[in-house]
Amino acid sequence: MLTIDNLHAGYGTSEVLVGVSLEVKAGSVVALIGANGAGKTTTMRAISGMLRPNEGRVLLDGKPVQQFDASRIARLGLAHSPEGRKVFGPLTVEDNLLLGAFGRLPRFFGFRTRAAADLAGVYELFPRLQERRLQAAGTLSGGEQQMLAIGRALMAKPKVMLLDEPSMGLAPVIVQEVFNTIRRLKEAGITLLLVEQFAKSALEVADYAYVMDRGRIAIEGTPAHLAEDERVLAAYLG
Amino acid sequence: MYTLLIVQLAVSGALMGMVYALIAYGFQLTFATSKSINFGQGELVMLSALFSLTLIDTGLPYWLVVPGGMLFGVVLGLFVERAGVRLALEQKSEGWILLTIILGLLGFSAAENIWGRDDRPFPTPIPSDPVHIFGIDVTPLELSVAIGVLAVMGLVELFKRKTLLGKAFEAVSADRDAAQLMGISATRTIQLSYGLSGLVAALAGILVAPITTVGPTMASVLILKAFSVAVVAGLDSGFGVVLIGLFLGALESLTSFYLGSGWREAPGLVLLILALAVRPNGVFGKASIRKV
Ligand SMILES: Nc1ncnc2c1ncn2[C@@H]1O[C@H](COP(=O)(O)OP(=O)(O)O)[C@@H](O)[C@H]1O
Ligand SMILES: [Mg+2]
Repeated sequence: MLTIDNLHAGYGTSEVLVGVSLEVKAGSVVALIGANGAGKTTTMRAISGMLRPNEGRVLLDGKPVQQFDASRIARLGLAHSPEGRKVFGPLTVEDNLLLGAFGRLPRFFGFRTRAAADLAGVYELFPRLQERRLQAAGTLSGGEQQMLAIGRALMAKPKVMLLDEPSMGLAPVIVQEVFNTIRRLKEAGITLLLVEQFAKSALEVADYAYVMDRGRIAIEGTPAHLAEDERVLAAYLG
Repeated sequence: MYTLLIVQLAVSGALMGMVYALIAYGFQLTFATSKSINFGQGELVMLSALFSLTLIDTGLPYWLVVPGGMLFGVVLGLFVERAGVRLALEQKSEGWILLTIILGLLGFSAAENIWGRDDRPFPTPIPSDPVHIFGIDVTPLELSVAIGVLAVMGLVELFKRKTLLGKAFEAVSADRDAAQLMGISATRTIQLSYGLSGLVAALAGILVAPITTVGPTMASVLILKAFSVAVVAGLDSGFGVVLIGLFLGALESLTSFYLGSGWREAPGLVLLILALAVRPNGVFGKASIRKV
C-alpha cells in the first residue's frame, strides 16, 4: 500500500536520510524504531510531503507521490498524525475531527450530515472526545490531544496512517491506553506505519519492523525475528 | 448643549473610525493565514473606489456598483497574492514587503494615468441630510458606513465559523503544516484570504468615497490610520479592530475640534507609537508582529 524506495531527504544542505527503503502492506502494522535523531520523523515528513525528498520514490497505492504537495498527498489517502500531535488549539474538538475529513466533505454546507456516521465512530472509540466535543482542543490534556490527533487522522478514512510517537510525553497509564488504541486500529484493519520510542510495546503490536540508524535502515524483519537479535537491537536502540 | 456637541463630534468620528476598522480587518485576514500583509492596501482601496466611480458613470445602479466594486477588490487582492506574495512565502523570505509596496506604487501611477489626479465627488443615492437620534445628528450616509462595515465583517466571521472552508481557514491560521496534513491547501487558503482582504478593503473604499471624494491620494492617510488600528488592536484579534477603530475615530474628531484640524492625524500616530512601545502584540493580540 505504501512503498518507499531509496529516499534521500534533509534540511537545507544537510542530508538526514541517505537512502531509506521500506514497505507497508495493506492491512498491516509496521513499526519504525531507532534511537533519537535516527531520522524517523524526517522519514515520515518526507513521505507525507511536509519535506520534499531530494531523491527516491514514495508510492501510495502504486502511484508515485513524492513530488506532490502535502495537502494533495493527504487527499490521496495518506493521514499523517505528526510528532507533537499538532491539534488545532483554538478550534473545538469536533471542528478538529471534521477537518480531518476535509478532503472528502463538501466545503460549504451539509458537511456535518455527511460526516455524522464517521464522527459517531470516532466518539465510540474515544468517548472522552464526545464529552469535550465543544471544548477548544488546546485545553485538552496531552493524552486527550493524542486521542484527538488519532481520531482526526481516522476521519480521513485513509489508505495509510502514519503515527509519529503517539506516546511521547504521556504518563505510563495513558501510554497503555494509546497502545490499546493502536491494537484496536489494527483489529479494524487500518494500515499503519508506527514510530515509537517504546520499542518493546511497538514490536508487540507490529507485523513487521524496521530499525533506523543515522538516516538508513539498519535491520528489518518480523518482531519475532528481531527479538532473536536482541543484542543488535539493544545496540541500535541505545 | 456643550456636552451634546462633544457627543455629536465623538459619534461622527467613531462612524468614520469604522472604515479604519474594516481595512484593519483586511490586514488581519491575510496575516492570520500567511503572516503577511499587503503594504499596497491603500492603493487597492483607492483603485476599487475609482473603478466603482467608473461603474456609476456607465449608468449602473448603485446596488450593482457596490458588488461590482467589491468584486474588483477581490481580483486585485488575488493579483497581489499571486504577483507579490506567493513566491516570497514559498522561499520563506520577507520579499513580500517590498513587492507589495511596489505593486502599490504601480497601482498609484495607473490610477493617475487612467483617472487623472483630481479628486472627484462620488455620487450616492444614500441621503446626507442628518436625522436626529437621541438628540444627535447622524446622516444616513454615516450610518451606511457603520452598517456596511458590521455586515461584511459579520458575514466573513459567519463564513469562518459555519462552513468547512471557513474552519479550514482557521486551521491554517492555527497551524499551517498540520492543516496541510488534513488535505487543506495552504496556498489556496492564503489566496482566499487575500481575496477576502481585497473584498473588505474595496467595500471600505466604496463606503467612504461619498464622504471623502475620490482620487489617487484618497487612501494615503486612511491606510495609515487603518495600520495604526491593526497594530494597536493586534493583528490577530478579530473584533478588537472595531473597538479601536471607533475609539480612534472619536479621538480624531475631538482632537481636531479642540486643537484645530491640523492635529487630526496626530492621535493615530501617537496611538501607534504608544502601542509599539507598550504592547507590541496589540491591546487584544497574542502573536508577535515584530516581523512586520
Ligand atoms: N527542522 C530541522 N532542521 C534541521 N535539522 C533537523 C530538523 N529536524 C530534525 N533535524 C535533524 O535531523 C536528524 C533526524 O531527526 P529526526 O528525524 O527528528 O529523528 P527522530 O525522529 O528519529 O528522533 C537529527 O540529527 C536532527 O537534528
Ligand atoms: Mg521523532
